[in-house]
Amino acid sequence: MINLTLYKREFKRSIKILIIFAAIITMYVSIIISMYDPELMKTLDDFVKAMPQLMSAVGMKANTTSLLGFMVSYLYGFILLIFPMIFCILRGNGLIAKYTENGAIVSLIAAPVKRRTVACTQIAVLVSGITILNLYTTILELVCAAVNFPGALDISKLLIINLGLFCLHLFIGSICFIFSCFFSDTKYSIGFGAGIPAFMYILQMLANAGGRAENAKYFTFFTLFNPDNIISSSNNSYINIFILLVSAIALYISSITIFCRKDLYI
Amino acid sequence: MCEIKIEHLTRNYGGGKGVFNLSFDVKHGEVFGFLGPNGAGKTTTIRHLMGFIKAQEGSCTINDLDCWKDSEKIQLKLGYIPGEISYFDDMSGTEFLKFTANYRKIHHNLQKDLLERFEFDPKIKIKKMSKGMKQKLGIVAAFMHNPDIFIFDEPTSGLDPLMQNRFIDLVIEEKKNGKTILMSSHIFEEVEKTCDRIGIIRQGKMAAIDSAAALKERHVRHYNVKLENETLAESFAKDFNGISNGLNVTVSARQSLEEIFMNYYGDDRK
Repeated sequence: MINLTLYKREFKRSIKILIIFAAIITMYVSIIISMYDPELMKTLDDFVKAMPQLMSAVGMKANTTSLLGFMVSYLYGFILLIFPMIFCILRGNGLIAKYTENGAIVSLIAAPVKRRTVACTQIAVLVSGITILNLYTTILELVCAAVNFPGALDISKLLIINLGLFCLHLFIGSICFIFSCFFSDTKYSIGFGAGIPAFMYILQMLANAGGRAENAKYFTFFTLFNPDNIISSSNNSYINIFILLVSAIALYISSITIFCRKDLYI
Repeated sequence: MCEIKIEHLTRNYGGGKGVFNLSFDVKHGEVFGFLGPNGAGKTTTIRHLMGFIKAQEGSCTINDLDCWKDSEKIQLKLGYIPGEISYFDDMSGTEFLKFTANYRKIHHNLQKDLLERFEFDPKIKIKKMSKGMKQKLGIVAAFMHNPDIFIFDEPTSGLDPLMQNRFIDLVIEEKKNGKTILMSSHIFEEVEKTCDRIGIIRQGKMAAIDSAAALKERHVRHYNVKLENETLAESFAKDFNGISNGLNVTVSARQSLEEIFMNYYGDDRK
């Protein structure tokens, strides 16, 4: 199903980016969790009340009373969405389109290895990276919460939220990957692979700002991941996570088909 | 038995580019020269054989296996030198050869012999390699798993004359071992030394397929020149690559590929 030699090489190439993003996430997560403090929160809430639109555009809302609610407001609106998304864009493009463009893919295709195996291996590399990033985030959050505020965190809810986040990133990864398979030029692969998720995120920001712009939420897949709904145990949120997962799988399977049928001018 | 078989292959890129209703075959143990100017469709044909692109019409088979559907089975016993070597340039040559050996799961690796033969030290990064070095890397990667069938796309480009000759020797050796070889080139001299048969392609169509000997016969002219004294005759023979016999020197003039094409088509290029 996958070629281990190729997997090892590509995984090694992911490590550098993973370390950088893990470092950024470590910084934000540890600082923000340590900032959870009723006194300071009041200040932040005042901030939100003063400029509700601006703050909610980046996912920050008032009245975040529990530690988890606080984390959702200040981590799940921007940092934990954007950095794994950049990882998906960089790697998604680098795994196929970059090699098609510079011709290096010839050494993968002119070998007794099926194209399907090549595509599956690259998907495995991408999914491993996303998994590691999400797993690391979860462990980090649990550790930071346990150290700073023992017992304050609703662990089971956090796990569900992070499962949703994982599915969201699998889906973003699948978007990047399908364009990487479809286009032979990195400019188009990056253009669509980065452009669509970025545009969707902007729509999400608009929708968060409220008012008439709220309708924008019907046009962005970020709506499908709603940690506030998960906290309030809304039934829809589980279905939405499932939709993200199924769409991601469908896009990965389509990517494999596209890559297998593609003409390679190498 | 035909090892490589192309039947009515068509791939139209538009604007007269591509290959059109192309048919030929390469028999077992034969070296086939695939000759044509730039843009004639050599690489396009090879891409079909390698399973990189799908035939619009017609078919390509190697050992009765379809080049598109059963590509990975064919690749097991196939060695390929691409027209342009563009391997992972973040790797060094050594890393790349190791990667390829593991990726292809090669058990019996001929890499060491080949590196010595081409006096090639693959330690440096592929990114920093010259055209000739990359070409050597391509040759080593194509031969190291000891394939039965070879497909070369202008294999000696970038090599110096000494290395070109080493490559030609290698091809002749492999031919003696009963390997089947398809070699594209736009240099007549390169193919005439190694090939049994030569196919000439132009504007996507096969213009002529003939034995190398017949083509050579038809396009090489011999001249007998009589000189004043023997010293002069000898130096004349040396300068013009002729054979001296007393005062007489026989020199041969080979037509250029361009002239050979004109011979087959008439000059309709202008």
